[in-house]
Amino acid sequence: MKADGLGAVLVYTSFARPSAVAWLTHFVPYWNEALLVVFPAGAPVLLAAFSRRMQDWIRSVSHVGEVQSVVQLGPAASAVLGERVSGSSRIGVVELDALPWRVAEPLSQSHATRLADVTALFTSIRQPADDTEIRLAQRTADIAVKALGSIPPGAARASQVLAAIERSARIEGAEEVLQRLVPDLAAGSTLQRIEGDRPLGGRYAVELSIAYKATWARVARCFSPSAPQSWQRAETWTSDWATRIAGAPVEPPPGEITFWSLEACIGSQPLSVVASATGPRGTVSAGTLASFSIKLHLPDGPWLGGGPVVVGGRQPGRLLVSPLRS
Amino acid sequence: MPASLRADRRARLAAAMATEGIDVLVVAGNPWRSDYLRYAADLTPTEGQVFAFIERQGKVRVIAELPAEAARYYAEQKDIEVSWSLSPIEEAEAAIGSYGSKRLALAPLAAVPYRLATGPLASSMASATAMLDRLMLLKSPSEIDALRRAAALADEGYAVFREAARVGQPEYALVAEVEAFFRSRGCPENFQILASGGREVRGMHPPTERRLSPGDLVTTELTPCVDGYYAQICRTLAIGSPSDAQMRAFAPYDEALAAGIAAVRPGATAGEVARAQNEVFHRHGLGKYLSSEYTRVRGHGLGLYVDGRPAVLEDVDLVLEPEMVLVVHPNTYHPEVGYFVHGDSVRVSASGCEVLTRTPRQLFSVPGT
Repeated sequence: MKADGLGAVLVYTSFARPSAVAWLTHFVPYWNEALLVVFPAGAPVLLAAFSRRMQDWIRSVSHVGEVQSVVQLGPAASAVLGERVSGSSRIGVVELDALPWRVAEPLSQSHATRLADVTALFTSIRQPADDTEIRLAQRTADIAVKALGSIPPGAARASQVLAAIERSARIEGAEEVLQRLVPDLAAGSTLQRIEGDRPLGGRYAVELSIAYKATWARVARCFSPSAPQSWQRAETWTSDWATRIAGAPVEPPPGEITFWSLEACIGSQPLSVVASATGPRGTVSAGTLASFSIKLHLPDGPWLGGGPVVVGGRQPGRLLVSPLRS
Repeated sequence: MPASLRADRRARLAAAMATEGIDVLVVAGNPWRSDYLRYAADLTPTEGQVFAFIERQGKVRVIAELPAEAARYYAEQKDIEVSWSLSPIEEAEAAIGSYGSKRLALAPLAAVPYRLATGPLASSMASATAMLDRLMLLKSPSEIDALRRAAALADEGYAVFREAARVGQPEYALVAEVEAFFRSRGCPENFQILASGGREVRGMHPPTERRLSPGDLVTTELTPCVDGYYAQICRTLAIGSPSDAQMRAFAPYDEALAAGIAAVRPGATAGEVARAQNEVFHRHGLGKYLSSEYTRVRGHGLGLYVDGRPAVLEDVDLVLEPEMVLVVHPNTYHPEVGYFVHGDSVRVSASGCEVLTRTPRQLFSVPGT
């Protein structure tokens, strides 16, 4: 901030876009929204669209300086900036384009010429992940793997799978649980949000995304009564590929790669695509904490896999789910 | 979602767009504010931003932020055009410019991002949002059916919660049981907050690691979603036999809830429903605890969003009409026992209201050992 001459940086948070403020303060709004005002020195101010009676809770779950309970974030932010930031300083906004209009409108009216998008600045410092975050991600991954292991053998319906995973993950401390299923791999390979219930086919897949202490990880597994050999080959190849994701795999894949992606936390979204089969293809920095997802079309049908990884550089990366096994 | 519900909403939207002179409605959404998107395009984002371009004749184009979301939308609705972009806002901006002479409008104010809000559709946002607000406020029979089912599921969920509330259990274990129950019943989403303790409790929040103790009051509101529609129940239980203070505290909340529900009728305002509840608190000498320092609202609308219009507050003059659905809840702090909640979902009927919640209105008690 000092290098860029920024008098303050505004970072928005909501249930949908919690991760930038969570990384800075550990605060995640379970409801409504908030705006963090970061100064070049001193503690940040959290403007929260929460009743004052919730301030104790906010302080108990986060590391912030002053907490102000406000009805409207935009006018409140304008007031704070007017009081505490010199008139000549630029005001950075992380993801300015995406700032909700109700928050942005008062700011644009009072500080339009000073607002500057600082998304690139934030992204440049967000990764690589530090040891603490990697340890949290490992714990998150462990919760996910345990939850996937809680699926009752012989589960015949999606509801059985979803319920078992939900209970296991939350008992282990997961704050958010997002599940997508392919109920029957013989009928397709698109991960679905299940509303109601569905029967499961002989082979099905689950993608589980979990937040633990605001750290997200995605793990995908395929399930069948007896693990096909083709799946074992896919798992072995994918485990190796994931650690070399910044470069070319050593062996050709055991089937056609239908799609792959690498997602990392680089802004306010928990996971954003940083590389994929259809782009972008730029270099992902070594040490980036990411979740990979891959879909293969094997000789006997589709297969999905995925998990969190610390991207390698000169050295191979590190899978946080080991082994990658159905 | 039943095909009839989707068809019903599409027809109502098309009619409204025709009245407003809109050829293409651009709707923004995200996992927090997905209600307008759900109504207009039957899309439920679970991650990232989404922009849907809905033509009055029915063609729908969707721009998502994540490839898995895009694939899912297409799998759910094969008749829509879907793409994903690392820069969905830029993509949406370009798409807005591609419609030539067609009349476009952008909504909702709650979810439209800065870049699009300062573009060529800026002047359309207020009226387009108001159009969708009107559509979502009065429910169709199919929507009411979904809300009744959600209310019934909320009753069942609260029974699960009561069974799980035992001495020594951490708060998050109670939520784990409720969420698992809802997944077992095909309900993909639930908004739930809770609190446990005594006079130190000022409000509810996501579950913590605090373990339930004898004498605690445990408050919760749980809000399951059925076919996109949320219904809510608010109840308080005591760990062990309720104390005299807890029983005394319950009386004004139960009386206020009854008074609030009695005030719900066509032609009444949301303000009158709030006033009916607040007058009870004033009579009991608890008027101080009606301020924003202790409470938020006396209820709110229900539908595709957990906290919709109207806010039930004394200064809200929105007139209730048949087929609006709201939760009436005089939740606030009590000086003797701490935060207390009590609330039922109701539907405004032709002559009064239909209470959708069936769970008895009582201060529940679970074993204290």
